[in-house]
Amino acid sequence: MNSSPVARGMGRAIRWYQRRISANTPPRCRYYPTCSRYAYEAIERFGALRGGLLATLRLLRCRPWSRGGIDDVPQRYSVFYRFSWSKAHEEPRLTPLASDSKETATQ
Amino acid sequence: MNQNQFMLDRGLFGWIYKLLTPVEWVMTQVMNLFHRFLVFLGMSPVGLSWILSIIFLVVVVHALILPMFVRQMKSMRRMQALQPKMQHIQQKYKGKSDPASKEAMSREMTKLYQDNNANPAGSCLPMLIQGPVFMSMFYVLSAIPFIARGERAALGAFDRATAQNFSATSVFGLRVTTNFSEADTTGKIIISVFIALMCIAMWYQQFNNMRKNLPRAQMQGQQYKIQQAMTWGFPIMYIFSGITFPFAVLVYWLTNNILNMLRSLWQVYALPTPGSPAAEEKEIRDHDHENERRKAAGEISLEEEKLVKAREAAEQRETEGYQRQQPRRKNRKK
Repeated sequence: MNSSPVARGMGRAIRWYQRRISANTPPRCRYYPTCSRYAYEAIERFGALRGGLLATLRLLRCRPWSRGGIDDVPQRYSVFYRFSWSKAHEEPRLTPLASDSKETATQ
Repeated sequence: MNQNQFMLDRGLFGWIYKLLTPVEWVMTQVMNLFHRFLVFLGMSPVGLSWILSIIFLVVVVHALILPMFVRQMKSMRRMQALQPKMQHIQQKYKGKSDPASKEAMSREMTKLYQDNNANPAGSCLPMLIQGPVFMSMFYVLSAIPFIARGERAALGAFDRATAQNFSATSVFGLRVTTNFSEADTTGKIIISVFIALMCIAMWYQQFNNMRKNLPRAQMQGQQYKIQQAMTWGFPIMYIFSGITFPFAVLVYWLTNNILNMLRSLWQVYALPTPGSPAAEEKEIRDHDHENERRKAAGEISLEEEKLVKAREAAEQRETEGYQRQQPRRKNRKK
């Protein structure tokens, strides 16, 4: 892992939130993956600044009247990846990518 | 209740009501505007016009919340309609606990919700908004007597003069700022009638829900008995809290309960829970309506249509026997 100390700190904070706070509340997400997992993945892949921006936008997207659904971290970075005209746009995937799974992601 | 101190301004609740000040401001303006309109129509500025403005405010708030409520009901019904498909997915992943199938199951579920515009998390927010709105309405009406006596700063449209004007209002000789213990005999009777009506409205709403809007499977056993007994709990609580509040708050409360009851009755009538007696009634009603529509349009009724179809099926059996025709690929070469 060549992530910065800031990114590692943020990742640890998210894991702490997932273990200590989120685990004690009932599941209530309108998106999949959940915002915290999305943020963790985004920061891991794109770093503290750019990943953090994606995570913030995702949090802003989680509100009443938004439809929710499957929303993965995009393969290539773009703030506009949700729009269909964006080059980074992806159709929702019913099966996870091989690179997303734990065995390859942690190495 | 201590008459010289405004208790709602103290402690944690005081802080919450401070946050709600914008909502309270708008409410006072709505009340004051409607009151001015009634005075313009020729009603006396002190008297029934203020009572009507309270009722008007409650009606406005309910009308604003109704669309949200309907949305929520529809979303809940969509969720219930998805139940078989959800069970299908759960069945597919039954007994599998490895992370990959768990993830695949979550993804499929989320896709199902997304495609059907339903959301398990979507239905609780309207409830969260409703609470504060009704709280601030309650707060405004409780604050007015204190503004009139100069013990609290002015709030929105209610400066001291307007508040005094409001406080001078009396119905059948009962001032709107008096509570049960301060009122004379006539006043006590009026307040008792109000509390009784409040209780009846609340009780009937719950009674009707219990009787008609629960799935039949839930309408038996110990829990149902407990729920039935609970319908008496709220009305009894009203008796105790009702005698401590000023009459203006009771007017608000009664209107609110009646509107709640009407909304609930309408909900049971138009959007009943699937599997409940109300839903069965609605099915029969819809069936009759469809038949009436067909009659007006000169078409055959649902029963006749069924009969025609049964006859056709019987005829087909006569000619082709009971053997089912095997399905065929469309582009098959002989």
